[in-house]
Amino acid sequence: MQDSRPPLTPPMPSQSTSTGPPPSVAAHTPATGLLPTKPVFPSFRRMRRIIAEDTEWSLAIVPLLMELCIQNIIRNFQKNPILKQLCPEDQQKVLSHLPPDLPLAVTANLIDDEGYWRRCCTQRWPVCHVAWHGNSWKRLFFERHLQGLLSHFIPGTTDPSTILDLLPLCKDYVRSLRVDQLLPPVHLLPTPRTAGDQSDSGSEGEAEESSADHYPLGPLVAGLSQLEELDLVYGVKDCGMNFEWKLFLFTYHDCHSLAATIKACHTLKIFRLTRSRVDDERARILIRSLLDHPAIEELDLSHNLIGDRGARGAAKLLSHSRLRVLNLANNRVRAPGAQALAHALVHNANLLSLNLRLNCIEDEGGQALAHALLSNTCLTTLHLGGNELSEPTAMLLSQVLTVNTTLTSINLSCNSIGPDGGKQLLEGVVDNKTLLEFDLRLSDVTQESEYLIGQALHANREAARQRALNPSHFVLPVTASGPGKSVA
Amino acid sequence: MNPPGSSGVLEHKADELVSTPIRAPSVYSDDPQERIQARRLRIAARVEARRREALGEYLDGKKESEEDHGRSYKQKEESRLKLAKLLLYGTELVTNIRVAIDVREIHRRVEEEEIKRQRIEKLENEVKTSQDKFDEITAKWKEGRQKRIPQELWDMLITQQLHCAGLIEDKNKLISELQQELKIKDDQYVKDLKKQSDDITLLLERMEEQVKSMVKAFYQELLHIEKAFELERQELLTSNKKKWEWALQAHSTKELEYLVNRMKRVQEYEQQLNKQRIWDCEEYITIKIKLEQDVQVLEQQLQQMKATYQLNQEKLEYNFQVLKKRDEESTVIKSQQKRKINRLHDKLNNLRSKYAKQVKQFQEENQALTTDYKRLVMQFKEIQKSLRHFALIDDEKFREIWLMNEEEAKGLISKAFDVDRIIHTQHLGLPWTAPDFWFLNNVGPISQQMKRSATQIVEEVLRQTEEEGEEEAASKPESYLDLPKQISAKTTKKILMLLCDESGFLIESKLLSLLLPLEKTESYLLRLDAIFSALGIESEGDLYKLVNFFLKYQAHHGSSSQVSLAPGSEAAEQTSLEGGEGGEQEEKAAPASSSLIHPNDVLKVLEAFVMGLRKPRDFQASLKVGMGVRDDSEDSEYWEALTTVIPAAKQNLWDTLYTALEKYHLVLTQRAKLLVENESLEQQNAELQSLLQQYLHSKINSELQVPPTQVLRVPSK
Repeated sequence: MQDSRPPLTPPMPSQSTSTGPPPSVAAHTPATGLLPTKPVFPSFRRMRRIIAEDTEWSLAIVPLLMELCIQNIIRNFQKNPILKQLCPEDQQKVLSHLPPDLPLAVTANLIDDEGYWRRCCTQRWPVCHVAWHGNSWKRLFFERHLQGLLSHFIPGTTDPSTILDLLPLCKDYVRSLRVDQLLPPVHLLPTPRTAGDQSDSGSEGEAEESSADHYPLGPLVAGLSQLEELDLVYGVKDCGMNFEWKLFLFTYHDCHSLAATIKACHTLKIFRLTRSRVDDERARILIRSLLDHPAIEELDLSHNLIGDRGARGAAKLLSHSRLRVLNLANNRVRAPGAQALAHALVHNANLLSLNLRLNCIEDEGGQALAHALLSNTCLTTLHLGGNELSEPTAMLLSQVLTVNTTLTSINLSCNSIGPDGGKQLLEGVVDNKTLLEFDLRLSDVTQESEYLIGQALHANREAARQRALNPSHFVLPVTASGPGKSVA
Repeated sequence: MNPPGSSGVLEHKADELVSTPIRAPSVYSDDPQERIQARRLRIAARVEARRREALGEYLDGKKESEEDHGRSYKQKEESRLKLAKLLLYGTELVTNIRVAIDVREIHRRVEEEEIKRQRIEKLENEVKTSQDKFDEITAKWKEGRQKRIPQELWDMLITQQLHCAGLIEDKNKLISELQQELKIKDDQYVKDLKKQSDDITLLLERMEEQVKSMVKAFYQELLHIEKAFELERQELLTSNKKKWEWALQAHSTKELEYLVNRMKRVQEYEQQLNKQRIWDCEEYITIKIKLEQDVQVLEQQLQQMKATYQLNQEKLEYNFQVLKKRDEESTVIKSQQKRKINRLHDKLNNLRSKYAKQVKQFQEENQALTTDYKRLVMQFKEIQKSLRHFALIDDEKFREIWLMNEEEAKGLISKAFDVDRIIHTQHLGLPWTAPDFWFLNNVGPISQQMKRSATQIVEEVLRQTEEEGEEEAASKPESYLDLPKQISAKTTKKILMLLCDESGFLIESKLLSLLLPLEKTESYLLRLDAIFSALGIESEGDLYKLVNFFLKYQAHHGSSSQVSLAPGSEAAEQTSLEGGEGGEQEEKAAPASSSLIHPNDVLKVLEAFVMGLRKPRDFQASLKVGMGVRDDSEDSEYWEALTTVIPAAKQNLWDTLYTALEKYHLVLTQRAKLLVENESLEQQNAELQSLLQQYLHSKINSELQVPPTQVLRVPSK
């Protein structure tokens, strides 16, 4: 669906003219425009004294005192905000004419009107996905505002009060925090690096670790009482040729403070920490803090350096929480880790989606997972792309497919399943009536079986469409959202 | 559909590509050309799939064509499926990049691992060799210490230096190698970055392309659907129009046909009408002539008829009048009759009701009378009973009165006799003899022994035995005084019972049937009555004779039959003992029990009895006296005789005597009176004397101036 997003959001000017309130200049024109029109069609005007369609039309030649007052209120809103005392129609009038660049301290807790916040948003950002923010423009504004502040915060140089001052204003509106970069502290003496000095960089990173801590989120998150989603990247975006390892340093201090933060935040439902070089130790620290968390539903630790121990921790978390989505894509999980996850999966009745893309669980891990799926009746989505799986796993999975009735999506792309494995999988898929997605691209499966599997899936999709009365057959693959993000 | 021209070319390619095995991983690796090829392959596959899908769709369409909205529905479904496919393949196309990168990454990892391993190995080897070298050098240092000769030492030092330089060089080489590698890596990184940006641009391109194509496809599909709808609509319109036109045409042709037909028919009809008219006219004329003739004839007839009619009318009128009158009369009669009938009906009803009433009344009366009758019968019975009772009582009373009167009379007679005797002896001085008369000795009423009938006796016997039972047997003898001495009631009864049982042939069969419902005693009675009448037994005496005959016969034959009838004799003894209680002594002596007489002998006894009875029967005139009528002829004689006890001569004597005596009595009474007078005078005198005495002796006398005493002379006493 991502590809269709840009055209979906119409360009800004068209919006404002079509549905939004007319700009303040336009509001004045009808009143002033009356004067010239009157003598032009005197007979017509005399005939029809009141025109029902034109709400702005009035007999008064001089603007009403009320209008003047409202204009005055608008003009002096920053110094003397008067809104609640007005009657609803006047409130609407005032809101529709307020400039969008008023200080937040004035507007944040005073104005709830979506139209105003919409104007604010569209003025600041060219592309706004209000659907990502619960269809609330105000929320969108504050969330993105806060994200912008956080992603440009440089510890040590930027004043932390810039963020903390905003806290009382936005604490009721921010529900999700998606920060795609957290800048490391900038050293006063940025040594001009030469090719010869590059060898030192590694040792430098270790030495400067204590001073390379990122902005501690603790106080901020503690202040946001409604926070449900936390999406963090401890790294620098678009570094290009200025790459340095220390830009991507997720220190132990950071880790501990983050763990304490998420442990304290009881409303958190989604936690994502991607592309932050989280290794086993750090992952375990984070996961330990999430054990028995009351609300957590989704955990995303993709694009990190988590190995088997971290996977084991995640497996433990599966049995100690109500996790519904677990994403460990692009990590270093091997067979033992996958076995641990499989063991946890046998008795789990919450997990809906498991993503182990770009790991190296190999056949051992794949078989363990398949065995677990024989008894699991909850998991619907399984991504095992790029895991060096081969025929034995395919064989087991085909057995799973004949038995399991909950799985709707499986991804086995970029494995070396081979033609025989493909045939076996085809047998399994033919017996299955619930599977809707089955990705076997680049896995050495013959095109014939791939095509036949596609046919079977198509039949399943049609059946599912018939089952669900609404004819939305565009069942998007869950994996489709993954790459879009990772690539972007 | 998508552009058909290009797809046709692509299809060939696709077929070729399908037939050849895919070089999948290598295609996605590096070369953009190959990637383009891969894309083409994908597109070809997509087109191929679409073609197949279309085929499938066609099959589907076949099914759906049967439905009403076949075309549009088909088109919609087709478009939907097509777009779904398109979307699926589009996303696949986009995600292919990710997959390709994944694969590349995997390969890179594998290679990296390999290189890393090699590098580590190399480094380890290097470490080992350098260590060896270093060890060598250090070992040589020891050797050098032992060297004394400076030249040697110098040489050694130089060699050491050389070694060291070699070692350092090695290390430097390694370092430079590694640095080289690093540089390569840096280059690689730059390349990767570029590639990434390329990939991203590619992705964006694809996305945009996809979006564009999707928009286009959607638009096209929309157009298709619209077109389909339009087409359908048009088709529908045209078909409807055609239908309509066809129908109109058919209608108009039919209309025309009808018109022509109608015209034809109209003409035909006109001709026919003309013909008909002519023919009718001719016929009319002929008929008219004929009819006119007929009319004339008929008029004549009419006249005749009129005449006859007149005649008939008069006749009929007369008849009518007559009949009217008759009718009137008949109506009068009818009404009378009706009235009569009504009256009679009323009467009949009245009579009926009366009859019913009477019937009811009579029934009631009948019932009442029957009840009365029953009551009377009962009363009668009771009265009879009481009558008998009263007869007895009357008898008794009569006797008592008789006795009383007799006694009185006798007393009077004896008084008279006494008086007579006193008169005779005292007054006349004559000897007196008591007269003797027959009636003076008579005591009680003059009774006549009456003869009772046999049946009466029997009845009495039976009733008594039955009613009184054995307990009253002791008091019986008195009432049976009139029975023959030797016979008790019991024996008599037994004999009679036997007789009754044995001589059933003497009774008429009719009577037997009548007797059945009756009481035992009554039936016996009636039976015996019948038997007695047959045998000729009428009076009491006859019955006793019979009983005696039986007893005698038994006495004769008893001794002979006693032995044979031992049990019988025992019973006889028993019965005789029972009878002995109330019976006479004679009965005991004679074995007179009737049970001893064998039932078979009864007939012989009867025969003998009848033979014997016949002789005296002839001269024994039956003097039947009305029962209960007493002969009182002698009574008056008796009582008159009693009155004439004193003869008339004696009475005359008594009369004269009486007169003389009366005279004597008168004298005596006068004397008595005088005596009484005398006595009273004497008494008065005495009383007066006492009174005088009293007055003289009182005080007043003394007070008085002149006492009376002085005046008077007191008579001295």
